[in-house]
Amino acid sequence: MLRIVCLLVAGAVAALPADAPRKAFPYAYDQHDFPNGLRLVTIPTDYPNVVSVFIVVQAGSRNEIEPGKSGFAHLFEHLMFRGTAAYPPAKYQETLKAAGAASNAFTTDDFTAYHTTFSKEDLETVLRMEADRFQHLEYAPAAFRTETLAVLGEYNKNSANPVSKLFEVVRDTAFDHHTYKHTTMGFLRDIEDMPNQFDYSRTFFERYYRPEYVTLVVAGDVTPEATRGLVEKYWGEWKHGSYQAAIPQEPPQTGSRTNHVDWPTPTLAWIAVAFRTPAYTDIEKDQAALDLIGFLGFSESSELYRKLVIEDQKVDLLRADDSAHVDPGLFTVFARVKKDSDIDGVRDAIVAAAGGFREQLVPAARLDAVKRHLRYAFALSLNNSEAVAQAAARYVELRRTPETIDRLFDVYDSVTPEDIRAVARKYLVDDGRTIVTLTGGKAK
Amino acid sequence: MKALMMAALTVGLAAGAQGPKLVTLPGRSALVTFRIVFLTGAAEDPAAKPGAAALTAAMLARGGTREKNYKQIVDALFPMAASVADQTDKEMIVFSGTTHVDNLEAYYTLLRSMLLDPGWRREDFGRLRDDAVNFLRVSLAGNNDEELGKEVLYNTIYAGHPYGHHDVGTVSALQSMTIADLQQFYREHFTQANLVIGLAGGYPAGFAERVRADFSKLPVGAPKAAAVPEPKPIHGIQVTMVEKNTRSVAYSIGFPLSVKRGDPDYPALLVAQAYFGPHRESGGRLFARLRAERGLNYGDYAYLEYFPRGMFVFEPDPNLARQRQIFQIWIRPVEPPTAFFALRAAMFELDKLIRDGINPEAFERTRLFVTKNVNLLTKTKSAELGYAIDSGFYGIPEYGAYLKQGLAKLTAEDVNRAIRKHLRLTDLEIVVVAKDCAALRAKFLANEVSPMTYNSPKAADVVAEDKIIERWHMDWKPEDVRVVPVEGVFE
Repeated sequence: MLRIVCLLVAGAVAALPADAPRKAFPYAYDQHDFPNGLRLVTIPTDYPNVVSVFIVVQAGSRNEIEPGKSGFAHLFEHLMFRGTAAYPPAKYQETLKAAGAASNAFTTDDFTAYHTTFSKEDLETVLRMEADRFQHLEYAPAAFRTETLAVLGEYNKNSANPVSKLFEVVRDTAFDHHTYKHTTMGFLRDIEDMPNQFDYSRTFFERYYRPEYVTLVVAGDVTPEATRGLVEKYWGEWKHGSYQAAIPQEPPQTGSRTNHVDWPTPTLAWIAVAFRTPAYTDIEKDQAALDLIGFLGFSESSELYRKLVIEDQKVDLLRADDSAHVDPGLFTVFARVKKDSDIDGVRDAIVAAAGGFREQLVPAARLDAVKRHLRYAFALSLNNSEAVAQAAARYVELRRTPETIDRLFDVYDSVTPEDIRAVARKYLVDDGRTIVTLTGGKAK
Repeated sequence: MKALMMAALTVGLAAGAQGPKLVTLPGRSALVTFRIVFLTGAAEDPAAKPGAAALTAAMLARGGTREKNYKQIVDALFPMAASVADQTDKEMIVFSGTTHVDNLEAYYTLLRSMLLDPGWRREDFGRLRDDAVNFLRVSLAGNNDEELGKEVLYNTIYAGHPYGHHDVGTVSALQSMTIADLQQFYREHFTQANLVIGLAGGYPAGFAERVRADFSKLPVGAPKAAAVPEPKPIHGIQVTMVEKNTRSVAYSIGFPLSVKRGDPDYPALLVAQAYFGPHRESGGRLFARLRAERGLNYGDYAYLEYFPRGMFVFEPDPNLARQRQIFQIWIRPVEPPTAFFALRAAMFELDKLIRDGINPEAFERTRLFVTKNVNLLTKTKSAELGYAIDSGFYGIPEYGAYLKQGLAKLTAEDVNRAIRKHLRLTDLEIVVVAKDCAALRAKFLANEVSPMTYNSPKAADVVAEDKIIERWHMDWKPEDVRVVPVEGVFE
C-alpha cells in the first residue's frame, strides 16, 4: 500500500514546466453525475486508512442578493449543525466522535464547504448522516436565534484584527452593485439583525441546498464503485430545485478610488491597492497571467519585496491576493508599514510596481521561476488525503470538476512575457484601482 | 518502517553527547522532509536576554549565510517552492522544510549553510528584531485578544520561572539585544548534544549519515543536567485583567499540570480533555453548553499541552514538547453584558466535570475518538516525523502505538480518578482581556448576580442551570484581581 502512495506522489511533483507536460492534479479520479443533479468526485489517494469528504455548495456571500441579508451564507453554514429529526445535534456529534472525525465547515464569497475527515470504516456512517442533514435539516426558531449569537461571537473574535476591517472597506469601496461589496462575514448591522430572519433562512435553504448546487468530493482510502453506491443510496432521492440567483453585475470602474480607516487602537499601518479583475477562466490567459503577476511583483522573491522589506525595511508584510472568483473580483496588494510617515512612499512604490508590468517585459527566466514555484507549491501541498480533497474542492466550486486544475496549469505554462504585459495593460490600470489605507490610534 | 523509527527512539533524545541523534522515517516518496531540532529554547534565554533563543533561530532561518545574503537565499528557494521554517519554544527549536527529491541537493546545501554557517548580518538583525517587536506589540498585544490572553496566562503562571516570558522575548530585551548575544547563544546551545536530526521520505541511501556527519561540525556540547523546576504554587483565584480598547471580553483559565506524555495518567486525562473541550471540535461539553445551547460565543475548549496559534490551525504543531505543562480553558470572546456569566458558566462546567466525571457511554465514545483521531494528527509525513521526535523527548514509543496501548486498558473510573486528582476549581489563574476592566473587576469582587437573558426560550435544564450559574460564588480577594494596561504586558 505504501509503495503505491509514493509512486503517485512521485508522479505529482515531477510535473514541471521544463519537463514533458504532466498533470498538475495527478490523481485518477472518478466523476459521476446523478439524475437529480448531484455530482460526485471520488479520488482514491492510497494514503491509508483515512477518508476526507468535502461537500461543496456553490452558494456563498455572492448569493446574498437581498439588502440586509449579508452574512447569510455563512450563517447557514452554522445552521447546518443544528440537526434533523433522525440526527438531533447531540446524536450527530456523538456519531462524529465515535468516528474519530475532524469536522468543520467554511464559507467564502462563492461557496460553502462542509468537511469531515475520518477512518475509512466510517464512510457509510458519514455519508448517511450528511445526506440526512442536507435533505432534512430541521431547526426551531429558538435554536436559530441562539446560533445567530454564535455568528456574532465569530464577528467579535475577528474584530480585534484590523485586517478584517481593511477587507471590509476595500470591498465596500471597490464595488457598487455586486454582492462582492460585502465580506463573507457580512455587515455588523445585518449580523445583529439575524435573529429576526428565521423565515429568510428557510428560503435560503430551499434555494441553494439542492443537488444541482452540490458536489461531493471524497478523497482517500476509497473506491469509486463503493462510494458511488453509497451516495446513490443516501443522496439519490434528493429533489432537484429550480432557483437561479440574479447576481447584480458590476459595471466597469471608471476612475480610481480611495478610502481610509482610522483604527481606534495602536497598530502598524496597512495599505491595500486593489485592481478589478476578470472572472475565473481556465481558457483565456487573464486569470493565469494575473496570478503570475502576483508572484512576479509582490512575493518574497520580487524586487519590491527586496526593496521594501529586506533593504529599506519600511514594510514587514507584503503580498498579493488574486484568488479566483466566479465573477470579476479584485487583485489586491497588501502591505503593512512600520512608520506612518512611509505610507505615501510605499503606496507609490506599489502603484509603480504594478504599472511597471504595463511597460516592461518580464525576463523569461524570472517568469519560468514563478511557474516552477506554482507547480511545486501545488504538488507539495497534496501531502495527505484531506489536503487533496481540499485542493479539489477549491476548484470544484468554480467549474464543478478537478479537470480545471490541469487546464489552469496548462494556461500558466503558456503565458509569455508579452501576455503578462497585455494583461497588465488591461487590468492594472489607474481607472480600475482602489486604494485603502488604515492607521492606528495612539497608546493611552 | 515503524520498527526502525522505534529503534531510533529507544535511544532517547536526552541520552548523552554521542553526537547528533537521528530520527528517520525512510520511504519511497518523492518528497523529503527535514525536522532539525535543537533541545534548547526560550527556557535557556540568559536572564537579561529574553528572546535570545528565538532571535537566534530567526537569524538562521530568515537571514543570510556567510556566503549568501538573505535575498540570494530567498531567490534560490523560490523556484523549489521550499522554505526553512523556524519555531522556537521553551525547550525545543525546530527548523523544518520539505523539498522534492529532485531539488534535495540544492535545498540541503542551503539548509546546511543556514544552520551551520550563518551570516550574522547587521541588516538581517535589524529586520528580524523589528519583526519580533512588532509581533509582540502589534500582532499579539494589538490584534489578537485571544492569543494575548493565552500568552499572558503562561507568563503569569510561570512568573519568575525559566518559562516566564514569551518565546519571542520582551520588547525591552529585544531592543538591547546585540548580534554578539545571539552568537553566544548559538555557540552554547546549538550543539551536537542538543541536536536531533529528523528525516522522512525518499532521500537516498547514505543521506542520513551524511547529514549527521555534516552536523557533527557543531560543538560537542554537554547533555542537559537540570530538570525544569515546578512553577510556584498558586493560592486561591488569581486574576490578571488586561485593559484594552476592544469590543468583547476574552478569557483564558489555567493552572500547572503535573502530567505530560509518558506519565501514567496522561491517556486518562487526554480522554477527559477530548470529552470536555476538544480543540475546534463542536463535540465537547464546554462547546455544547456555552456556545451551542446558550450562544455565548464562537467556541470553548480545553488543553493539556501548549497549543499556540489555535485560532489559525486545527491540529497542534509538533515539536513544542515541554517538561512542564498547564491545564487550560479557552473561552473565545464574549459580549460584555454576558461576560461574567460566561466565566461562571466555564467554572460551573469545570466543577461538573470534576464532580460527575464522564459516564461509561461517553467514555467509550471518547476513547474511540482519541484512538482514531491520532491518525489525523499524524496525517502528513512532517507531522509524523515531528511526533516521533516528541516521543523521543518524552521517552515513549511511537505516539499512536503509545496511545492505543494506554487507552486499551483504560476504564471510565480511571478517567474520573485522574480528573479528580489533577483538575481543580481553585488555586488557578484567570486572564481577562477587556475594555473597562475596573467595572468588571467590581462585579467580580462583589460576586454580583449575573442573570442571563436570551433571545429565545431555553430548555428547562438550561434555565435551571442558569439559576445556579448566575450566583456561582468565586472566592475573589481584591489584592488578587489586578488590572494591567495592554501596552505593558510584553515590554
